[in-house]
Amino acid sequence: MDHHSNESIKEPSGYGPPSAFDRNALKALGDEQLHSALRNLVVTFGERREAAISSVADWEGLRNEARAIKDETLAHLDSYLEEFANNAGSAGAHIHWARDGRKVSNIIVGLLQARSAKRVVKSKSMATEEIHLNAALEDVGIETVETDLGEWIIQLACETPSHIVVPAIHKSKKQIADLFVEKIGIEPTEDVAKLTSAARRVLRQRFAEADAGISGVNFGVAETGTILILENEGNIRLTTSLPKIHIAVMGIEKVIPRFADLDVFLKLLPRSGTGQQLTAYQSLITGTKKRPEDEGPEELHIILMDNGRSRMLAHPLTRQSLACIRCGACLNACPVYQQIGGHAYGSVYPGPIGAVITPQLIGISKATQLPYASSLCGACREVCPVKIDIPALLLHLRSEIVEGTASGSADEKGPVKRKFAERFAFRFYAFAWSRQRLYEWSAQIARLLQRAAVRQGRIGKVSGLAAKLAPPLRAWTAWRDAPPIAQRTFREQWRESQFK
Amino acid sequence: MTETEQSTRARQEILSSIRGHLAASARFDAHAAQPATPQRGAQSNSTKNNHDGPVIELFQQALEAVSGHCSIVQNIDEAARNVQQIVDQRKARRVAVSDSTLVKGILKRLKTEAAFLDAPNQSELFECDLGITSAQWAIAETGTLVLEAERERHRLASLVPPVHVAMVEAGRIRRTMSEILELIKNTDIGLSRTVTFITGPSRTSDIELTLAIGVHGPGELHVIVIDEPAQPA
Repeated sequence: MDHHSNESIKEPSGYGPPSAFDRNALKALGDEQLHSALRNLVVTFGERREAAISSVADWEGLRNEARAIKDETLAHLDSYLEEFANNAGSAGAHIHWARDGRKVSNIIVGLLQARSAKRVVKSKSMATEEIHLNAALEDVGIETVETDLGEWIIQLACETPSHIVVPAIHKSKKQIADLFVEKIGIEPTEDVAKLTSAARRVLRQRFAEADAGISGVNFGVAETGTILILENEGNIRLTTSLPKIHIAVMGIEKVIPRFADLDVFLKLLPRSGTGQQLTAYQSLITGTKKRPEDEGPEELHIILMDNGRSRMLAHPLTRQSLACIRCGACLNACPVYQQIGGHAYGSVYPGPIGAVITPQLIGISKATQLPYASSLCGACREVCPVKIDIPALLLHLRSEIVEGTASGSADEKGPVKRKFAERFAFRFYAFAWSRQRLYEWSAQIARLLQRAAVRQGRIGKVSGLAAKLAPPLRAWTAWRDAPPIAQRTFREQWRESQFK
Repeated sequence: MTETEQSTRARQEILSSIRGHLAASARFDAHAAQPATPQRGAQSNSTKNNHDGPVIELFQQALEAVSGHCSIVQNIDEAARNVQQIVDQRKARRVAVSDSTLVKGILKRLKTEAAFLDAPNQSELFECDLGITSAQWAIAETGTLVLEAERERHRLASLVPPVHVAMVEAGRIRRTMSEILELIKNTDIGLSRTVTFITGPSRTSDIELTLAIGVHGPGELHVIVIDEPAQPA
């Protein structure tokens, strides 16, 4: 279909073994069906978002306000969390604290086993994806059914989400139809309405049988102890209304100070995520029901999860990562995500925000490729509703990888020690190029030296000629040609024109 | 170690980790911009369709834009006739209803053989073909219904049946979300343990971003706004 076929792209040679990310990305670049799905995503969500934000009088002001609320919250996260826990607790919620994902799973398994709960319905939650909760529940024989249509599709297909908001975006309706024919025995159809109603029918049965419901949380309000969850389908309302017990997993960064702050985020999140003014449903849940005859679960458990978040507070830049409201706008805007999709990132959170938070959550040495999966074009920063400076964060993480400094965002040192020779070269470079004479001489010398490498006016792999630079400069020409230094510099031309 | 002890310890660990890392950030914070204090109630709180027109029409437009149906009636008798029409058209056999005064007033006026269930058990509920509730508030800008659980048993009747009919008094419509947040937090009985915001029918775009209506919740939403003319003094 376009210039991104497998044949035209060779793996880089002579610069270390290709990483899992490189392999995944190369595979994704050759997947035409994926590209057509991603084009649909970019165009559709892009247009819807533009239309939705144009209905706001002062979008910039709204973004600034949201960011200021998040900054204020994060600077006093301990006290807002305690306020939230106290208020939710006095409204009847049980509050649990969990340092890491394993603790979250243990708490949930404990709660379910103590109540002999065998069947669980779940609504979409990135926090539970992050800690691989479904696998932990499966291990102890608890059946977990994802009820969001997209999540259910990928659960049936034994896959992982490829997008934060639309997890099955990589699948075509043909693939989904085939999956439904195989797994739930429907008649073959590619009518989206029929596929959707088949899902409704099967999942209704799961809701009827469920002993417990597990959800995520979009916002936790400190002032009132309220959790707010947004959705379009109604599966979250069913998950939090029908079963006797509701367990909500909430990252500690989800807290906001005041009930009135919800207004700002309810304007930003749907517009940025799906391009809606407001999603179909918001559930605002404050503790448990007051009278036994009221509707709703008898127990609400809120699990406050750290799992690597608190250490991101240790630097003003990494702290920004915790302002994310998981809208997915940066994925849709990213030229890299647009080409390779979500799975290539090999992590739960894909796209620009994934490249920022994954290394911080799992340890930078386990995700050294991700901060480089960006051209630093800044499109993510432009669309981010809370103005996270993702390019600056990516550079910060890159410098941690190279320098091995741990400014607190990760508990370990970066894996690559800068070599002595490299350090010397950069010292020399900084010395020479900050002095005019030396700078001009070095350009003249380079012009002489490059003659051996220039072919057809380029340096690199032009016309198959093996005119490559010597290592380590070869790392550049392994992927692309380099332009040679001009025969006459601008300054020389300028001088000549002045004295003519 | 008991469960409570474990949780208390985890709480201490997380809070001290937060405090420790925030303290470690102090030397970097001096160089970075200070967190701004949020400017509340600024220009950003308004949306462009925030014109001065009557809120009822604004509500109707916004609701219809998200595929909801909206009719405006002058009294409860007219509202009941509308509900009657919907019940007859759907040939509804079982109707889940909330316990609000407004809904009770409507039911008294209906002539139908359908069974009305105000506290159905789960299997009855799943067989209902219609749900009738009222709404305590509505938001004009977004076409949103606001239902407070402590005012009526709304949660399942408004969610499980394929059709949801909701009544709201015109005087309960407010222009913006921020007004509503202020109101529901400070009612005479306080913030309800559950508040549900409903904007149009249930929807999904999870298959190739193609819009499908009515995935888990109702596929049809009918809102009847009761706008009684002012009584002469």
